[in-house]
Amino acid sequence: MALAPLDGAITLDQLSSDPYPIYRRLRAESPVLRVASTGRTLLTKAALTEAVKDNPELFSSDDPQTPMKPAFRAHTLMRKDGKAHFVERKAISKALTPTRIKTDWGPLYEQLAEDYISRLPRGETVDLFTDLCGPLAARILAHILGIPEASDAQMMRWSQLLIDGAGNFGWKPEPFVASDAANDEMDALFAELEPIRRSAPDGSAYSLMLTADDPIPMSQIHANIKIAIGGGINEPRDAMATILYGLLTNPDQLAEVRAQEAWDKAFEEGIRWVAPIQASSRLVTEDTELGGFDIPKGDTVMTIQASANRDEELFEDGESFFVFRDKNPHQAFGNGPHHCAGAHVARRTVGKIILPMLFDRFPDMTLPNPEQVVWKGFGFRGPINLPVVLN
Amino acid sequence: MIKVTYVAHDGTETVIEAEEGTSVMQAAVSNDVEGIVGECGGSMMCATCHCYVDVAWEDRTGQRSDDEDEMLEGAASEVTGRSRLSCQIKLDPSLDGLVVHLPEEQL
Repeated sequence: MALAPLDGAITLDQLSSDPYPIYRRLRAESPVLRVASTGRTLLTKAALTEAVKDNPELFSSDDPQTPMKPAFRAHTLMRKDGKAHFVERKAISKALTPTRIKTDWGPLYEQLAEDYISRLPRGETVDLFTDLCGPLAARILAHILGIPEASDAQMMRWSQLLIDGAGNFGWKPEPFVASDAANDEMDALFAELEPIRRSAPDGSAYSLMLTADDPIPMSQIHANIKIAIGGGINEPRDAMATILYGLLTNPDQLAEVRAQEAWDKAFEEGIRWVAPIQASSRLVTEDTELGGFDIPKGDTVMTIQASANRDEELFEDGESFFVFRDKNPHQAFGNGPHHCAGAHVARRTVGKIILPMLFDRFPDMTLPNPEQVVWKGFGFRGPINLPVVLN
Repeated sequence: MIKVTYVAHDGTETVIEAEEGTSVMQAAVSNDVEGIVGECGGSMMCATCHCYVDVAWEDRTGQRSDDEDEMLEGAASEVTGRSRLSCQIKLDPSLDGLVVHLPEEQL
């Protein structure tokens, strides 16, 4: 067999501004393609992305090439496999289970959503991306993690700096200087809160990890919280903005969603249509093959969930936002051992609480100029503004 | 082939035939059985393939592991003594005819 074809034309700017026409072409022509600008082998068909993530022995998350390590000042669970990953994952996932979210935290989430939604001005144009999606996602996460003392602005800034550092594939010094400063601030807050979360357990992630029978090392407790900050604000924020865009630009569907209270379906369709996390990397541990091409050991493959979620083999007219699909086997939360730990929280908060509450308060909300909405991102993607008129 | 019956929360029965070695979760997902999500693909990370083994079969499906036990704590519906993550039940000839009941919700 031969190596996958090598593309020298696709640029990172193209992938960031409008990747979907490219992915559509690749699914038809080159579902396994080495893309020079990314330094990775891109996989754009659902069967390939799923197979890779379900096989962590062959396609490892433990990638030594990643700038995530300096950005988080830790080797985090995102970049571990097997038992090492499982132990750290289990330590935090106890704070994220459906039962805990529903029974223990449900009322608090509703209160937070109400606080943030009720302060939005009626009759005005408001950018929901900056005024609701980001801050509310940050506030909810701060409570889940057990660091509600951090402000929304701090949470969002830390998150962005961690992401910028982790995505610093050019290894420039500035992003690491900035992420170092954020790490110092986070470490200081965690240290200050430690005795309180220990002596008064509150079911938050930090408290559960500190008071576990067999706790993971403190360095990894910190790393887990940072991973959740880096990976737990943008995704619900972007999911919310994407779903709102989808519903507001498809009023017929919005009406039907309201009639059927099908907010959970709207949630699933939004994250299928534009997955907040579009791509993931895996390191190839042995010579293998994918889609009829040789994939050498040491190669890095990139699963493009964004593309898998529009794969013609699974979805009819996947390019369109259509809430009432018969089936919606999207991969927005990934699959395999690194399946999103926050999936239940996101479904609960965004799908079951925030969306219905927002449309209940502003039933005649409109997006008068959808063409003004700017979409951005290759690894993470969503609208970066959402100017709606609240009524 | 091994026969498995899935009894939905509303009583609807779906009977499928699966290959030996597949899990009860995989068999359900590949046959479009409603009520089993199995989103993580069998890595014991999502607790969306929760099922209740029929009382007639509970001795034959084996014991829950400690890790499975902990993951089940997070399941969306009530967990009982017969609760299992269906990704952890591998089908072999001794389970031909297996009956599992599905919870009210998985998410």
